Amino acid sequence: MASDHTLNLAGSTLAPQARMVPHRSSDAFISAIFVATFAVTAFLIVTPLASLLYGSFRTGGPGTNAAYTLKNWQDLGSAGIINTLITTCVISILTSVFSSVCGGAMAWLTYRTDFRYKKLLVAAIGLSFFFPGFILAMAWVILGSPGGIFNYILSDMLGIDSVQFDIYSATGIVWIQVLHITPFAFFTVRGPLSSMDSSLEEAAYASGANPWQVALRVTLPLMLFPVLSSLLLCFVLSIEQFAIPALVGIPGHVNTLATELYLLTSFSPPNTGLAATVGLAMSAVTGLSIFAQRRVVHRRNAPTVSGRGYRLRPLNLGRWRAPATVLCLLYALLSFIIPSVALVYTSVIKYFVANPFEAAYTWRNYQQIWDSPGTVRAFWNTLIVAGGGAVFGLILGTLIAYSTHRLKRRGYRGLDMLASLPFGIPGIVIGLGFLWSYVYLPIYGTLWVLVFCYVARFLPYATETIGAQVVQIDRVLEEAAWTSGANRVASFGRVMLPLLRPALQSGYFLLFIAYFREIAAAALIYTSSTQVLSISIWAFFENANWGVASALSIVTSVITVALMAAVMRAPLRL
Amino acid sequence: MGIKVQNLVKRFGDRTIIDHVSFEIAHGELVSLLGPSGCGKTTTLRCIAGLETPEEGRIEIDDEIVFDSTRGIMVEPYHRTIGMVFQSYAIWPHLSVFQNVAFPLQVRHRPRAEVESRVMHALEMVGLASFRDRSSQQLSGGQQQRVAVARAIVHSPAALLFDEPLSNLDAKLRDRTRAEIRRLQRELHVATVYVTHDQGEALSLSDRILVMGEGRIHQAGTPQQIYGDPQDAFVADVVGAANFFDVEIQQAQPNDFRCVAPDGTLIHAVGRVAVLGPGRVMVRPDRLVIEQDGGDDSGPNRLHGTVVQRLFLGGHFEYAVAVGPTLLRVFSAVPIEEAARVVISFAPQDGIVLGAEPLSVAEESEAWA
Repeated sequence: MASDHTLNLAGSTLAPQARMVPHRSSDAFISAIFVATFAVTAFLIVTPLASLLYGSFRTGGPGTNAAYTLKNWQDLGSAGIINTLITTCVISILTSVFSSVCGGAMAWLTYRTDFRYKKLLVAAIGLSFFFPGFILAMAWVILGSPGGIFNYILSDMLGIDSVQFDIYSATGIVWIQVLHITPFAFFTVRGPLSSMDSSLEEAAYASGANPWQVALRVTLPLMLFPVLSSLLLCFVLSIEQFAIPALVGIPGHVNTLATELYLLTSFSPPNTGLAATVGLAMSAVTGLSIFAQRRVVHRRNAPTVSGRGYRLRPLNLGRWRAPATVLCLLYALLSFIIPSVALVYTSVIKYFVANPFEAAYTWRNYQQIWDSPGTVRAFWNTLIVAGGGAVFGLILGTLIAYSTHRLKRRGYRGLDMLASLPFGIPGIVIGLGFLWSYVYLPIYGTLWVLVFCYVARFLPYATETIGAQVVQIDRVLEEAAWTSGANRVASFGRVMLPLLRPALQSGYFLLFIAYFREIAAAALIYTSSTQVLSISIWAFFENANWGVASALSIVTSVITVALMAAVMRAPLRL
Repeated sequence: MGIKVQNLVKRFGDRTIIDHVSFEIAHGELVSLLGPSGCGKTTTLRCIAGLETPEEGRIEIDDEIVFDSTRGIMVEPYHRTIGMVFQSYAIWPHLSVFQNVAFPLQVRHRPRAEVESRVMHALEMVGLASFRDRSSQQLSGGQQQRVAVARAIVHSPAALLFDEPLSNLDAKLRDRTRAEIRRLQRELHVATVYVTHDQGEALSLSDRILVMGEGRIHQAGTPQQIYGDPQDAFVADVVGAANFFDVEIQQAQPNDFRCVAPDGTLIHAVGRVAVLGPGRVMVRPDRLVIEQDGGDDSGPNRLHGTVVQRLFLGGHFEYAVAVGPTLLRVFSAVPIEEAARVVISFAPQDGIVLGAEPLSVAEESEAWA
C-alpha cells in the first residue's frame, strides 16, 4: 500500500444534494411504478376474465343488443357439453399418464443409469420441446390420416388391409399430445431427480438392496411429488391443447372443451355466451389443477436437498440396454424426425402423393409464400407481435418480479397471485376473453389485441424466469449502490439490470418463441389484417393446401431456430 | 461532530432489536460496536446508513439530521454522505475494479478527470492501483475487500461504516488488513463506525468500544477501560477471555473488597458492586499464576485445584483447572503435567467483583427479565 501519498481525500466532502425529506416520500417514484405495474397487470388479467363472466350471462354475442340470462350456465349441464367434458378428461388423463411415464422414464435413464446416448436423448427431447404442437399435428395428419403415408405403406406396399391408421380419432389426439407433452414431463422430473440426495440410494445399497429394488423401493417413492407434479402439469397442458384436437379431432368429430369453445364461437350461429361459460368452466378445472400442482411443488423439497459432490454410480442397465435404446430412438423418430421428414417431403411436391417415387417435385410451394400478400403480411405481423410484444412482456415481467421479490410493497402478494393466474387459464379462453372485451376497447382490429392477449397469456413465463434470477442477486449489491449515492432508479439501472441480463436474454427468447408460434389465443381474435403466421399455416392446411402449409412451417421453424441460435450465441457478459 | 445517535429504537415485529441506544462519534474517531450475534450492532449500523428505518430516535451525520422520528425525517441512504464496507464486500460482478470504485463519483456526476484522479488515489491508498482494469471476479477475497474499502472512501464521506469487514478473511490476512484499516482511517480522519463480534479486532482498532447486548449498550469506553474495568459480567465475558467464580461478598469498600470463595478461601479484590451477599469475581486467564501444590499452602487469593487439560499454544500453555465445580482457564509458560494438584493465585487488583447477574445475556435474558 502506498502510504507516502499525502493528497488529502478528506479535504472536500462530496455532499450529494442531501435534503431533509419526510418519511418515505423520496421513493414516491418507485411507489408510482409499483402502482402502475399493478394496474397494467390487473388490466391485462382481469379484463378478459371479467369479460368472460359478463359474457356468460348474456343472451347474445359481444357488442350486440342482448339481455341478461342464466341459460348459458344451465346449458353447461347439457348432455353435449357433459360428453365433451368427459371426452376431454379421458383424453387428458391418458395423455398425462403416458407423457409422465415416458418423460419420467427418459429422465431416469438420463440421470440414474449408464444409458449410453444421454446427450443425444436430451438433445432430441429439447428439439421436440421446441417443435410447435400444431405443426406436429399437421405432420401426423400427413402421416396417419386415412390417405396418409402410413396407410399407403400398410396397404399398398405391405398388402395389409386389416389394420388402418386413423389419426382423426380420440386415440390420435392422445398419441400426438403424448409426443408433444412428454418433454414437459421430462423437464419437470429431471430437476428433482438429478439433485436428489444420493446418500438415500446409497443407504439402500448398503442395506443389501439390488439396483432394481433401489429404483422401485427408494427412488420412485422419493420421486412421488415430482411425478405427481408432472401428472398434474401434463393434465393441464392437455386440457389447454387447442391445435392438436382442432386439427385431428374436428375432422373425426371428437371434440374437447377447447375445440367445442372454438366451434361455438366461430361457426354460425355463434353462441359466444355459452362459449364464455365453457371457458370459465375450463379455467376452473385447469386453475385448480395448477393450484394443486404448485402445492405439490412446494412440498417436494424434503428429500432433494443435497449439494454434496458425490456422484452416484449409475445403475447398470444390463440386458435392458437394448429396449431402453429402442424406446428413446422411437421417441426421437416419432416426435421429431419422421414428422420433419414428412413435412419437408410434402413441401416439395405438387400434389400430395404418399409414394415419393410417383410424386412431382417442385419449389412452387415456397414460391407461393412470397407471392401471397396475405402471408407476407402475416409474416410481418408475427415479427411485430413476437419481437415487439416480447419487449413489452419482458418489461412487465421484470417489474412484477422485482416488485414481488424485492420491493414487497403492500399488496405485492396480490400482484404475485394475479401474475401467476394465466398459468391456469387455457390460451383459447384468454383469446375468448379478449374477444368479449376488445369490441368495447379502442384496440379493436389492431395488433394490440394480439399483443395484450399474448402478454397476458405468457406473463408467468416472464415473471418466473426473471424472478428466479432476482432472488439469486444478493440484496447487498443494491444496498451498496444506495450507500454509494445511487438512488433507487439509478441503482436498478446500473446494478440490477446488468446482473439480470442473462435472465432477460433467455426470458426474451422464451417469450419470442411462445408468441411466435401461439395459435390457441390467436384463433378467435385475429382479423384479416392482423393474421399471424401460425394462423396462415393452419388456414392453408385446412384448405387442403398441405404443400404451402408445410413449406411455411419449415420456413417458420428455420427462422425460429436461427433466432434461437443468434440469441444463444449473443455475448453473455456478466 | 461526526455521528450522533439519540434514543434509537428499532423493532422487527414485536421484537425490539435496538432499545434506546445513544452515542456520539467525533470527527476522526473510530468506534467499534462489539457484541455477540443478534445484539443489534449491525442493525444500528444499517440505521445509520439508512438501510433500515428505525421506529424512534434521531440520527445526525455531520450535523445534518438524517433521521428524526418526531419530525418525520428519513433521508434515503443515497442522500447521506456515507461510505460503507459490507461484510460480503458487495463488489459488483459486472463492473471492473475501476468501475466499482468510480461508481460513487459517477452517480454524483463528477467530471471525468476528477473521477480518474480520485479513483486512482483511492486505489493507491489500498494498494490496488495496478489492478484498475481487472474484472472484479478475478480478485481474491482480500483484494475484493480492498476494492470495497476504496469504493467506500473515494468520495470522501462524512461517515465511514464497516460491517464486520474482516470476518470473511483468513487469520493472517485479517491481522494485516486490520492494521491497514486503522492507518487509512487515521489518514482520512473521518468518523468511523466499525461493527464486529471479534473482541481482538475491536480492542486493537478502536478509539472507543461500545459493547452491545440485547439491543442496548452495556459499556462505552476506551479499549483499556473495557478490558481492564468491565462494568458487568456481560462485558467481561464479551471482551477478552474471562474466568468467573461465585463468591459471597462480605465487605465492599472502594477498591477493597473481601469475599469468600465456596471452598472457604478468602478473596481480596476490587470492584464497584456495593451490595453484600452473592457475587462473582472475574480474573483474566493471563493474570492467574499457576504452581504445583506445595501442601500447607493456603492464604488469601490462593485457590486449590487439579489440572484437567493442558493445551500447548506455542507461546504458552492453556490449562483448564478444576477448582471445586468451576473450571478456570489459565495461561502460563510454566509446564505442569495434567492431573497435577495446583495452586492458582492472583493479585487483588486483578480480581474484579461483579454482580451475580447471568453471564450470557443473549442466552439467559428471559430468565433474567
